[in-house]
Amino acid sequence: MALPPSLRTSVIPAELELIASEQLVEIIPLVAMERTAFISGAYGPLRPPVKCRVPIWMATNLKLKKKCHIVPPDWLNVEFLQGRLLLETTRPEFSEMPFRFAEIAKVLLDIASEDFQEPDKIRSLLKDIREARQAKSREGLSKLDHSELSLPNLSSMEINEIRPFFVRSMGVLTQLVRDPAGRQMEL
Amino acid sequence: MDDDYYSIDSILAENQKIQCTFKVDIPDMGHLDGGTERDIKALSKVQVPMWMVYILIYSDYADFNIPAPFQARVRNALNAEARSVKLSNLVGQGGLWYGLGRMIMKILDDAPANEISNILVKVRFPLRICNTFRARLPEVIDQAQHFASINSSGGGAGASDGTLAFREGLDGTERELFALAQDSARKTKRWYEATERGRR
Repeated sequence: MALPPSLRTSVIPAELELIASEQLVEIIPLVAMERTAFISGAYGPLRPPVKCRVPIWMATNLKLKKKCHIVPPDWLNVEFLQGRLLLETTRPEFSEMPFRFAEIAKVLLDIASEDFQEPDKIRSLLKDIREARQAKSREGLSKLDHSELSLPNLSSMEINEIRPFFVRSMGVLTQLVRDPAGRQMEL
Repeated sequence: MDDDYYSIDSILAENQKIQCTFKVDIPDMGHLDGGTERDIKALSKVQVPMWMVYILIYSDYADFNIPAPFQARVRNALNAEARSVKLSNLVGQGGLWYGLGRMIMKILDDAPANEISNILVKVRFPLRICNTFRARLPEVIDQAQHFASINSSGGGAGASDGTLAFREGLDGTERELFALAQDSARKTKRWYEATERGRR
């Protein structure tokens, strides 16, 4: 156990962001580049103004050098998010979102907010969705059980946030709930 | 909470004293009660630490009474409103109420001849202790997340008396969960608030 205690319970949000950065996003390049091999694969060629799919880490790098425009993913716009927010507030279950939507949305909005139609509106919608979903995961807490808990469509960032204490509480419950079948076997 | 030999929590929960009634005379052991008596007489009531209770009961030297933190008075209070009971006051020294409850549950299993382990206790006891945990858990997490958000934004305490009393009444196990939840909420919040441009 060489890790400090704060890192043992779960991965940190920045690590999740790194993992999410492997996903592909469409860009409109402003520079030409041949097809190039990276450790994670070969991307390109970049031929402006033809769209190209590259990983998010590469897109952010190019964007910060002002060498591309990022095309927002089809779920990252006001209409789609408004629809999801409506579902989220009217239905009891979690609505379907991309698994790593929180990380991807944050990276793209931070780096390339000028490539979005209404970045501030998107930000506030994402915040509302996040809060609605948090209220639901809190409800899941009261239904917590020692053997299983099913919360479909929970995203990676949300899972990561609740993991440390959900796991621990379930551990405690396992200790407190006496299993009649197990007891008979002991006797 | 667990039975791990190296678990400090487990050792601390075992340090809790509970009252036993001896069935036989034990010579030269009067100092256990802290008194001046030389021997322990049969039918005398002695406060014995949990770790010693096991062997006394297995050897049939003593019976034990369900300790006060799990008696009817506390049970009724918990049934009425689990969140307003101060668990930390019920057991001294670090206050591992759940840990102690679990150990007593185990003894009740292992000594079926014991007069206390009648059906009522057997059925109701485990149900109650985990219901208490379940009823209090959302409040623990809510407060942890609340404090994670106000602490990092530099705001003041701003807590009402009710929540303060609840936090003071947390048992050791709940405190641990509180810390886990607070830490995780704080980490996530920090990530949401950090801006990407500064880092690259």
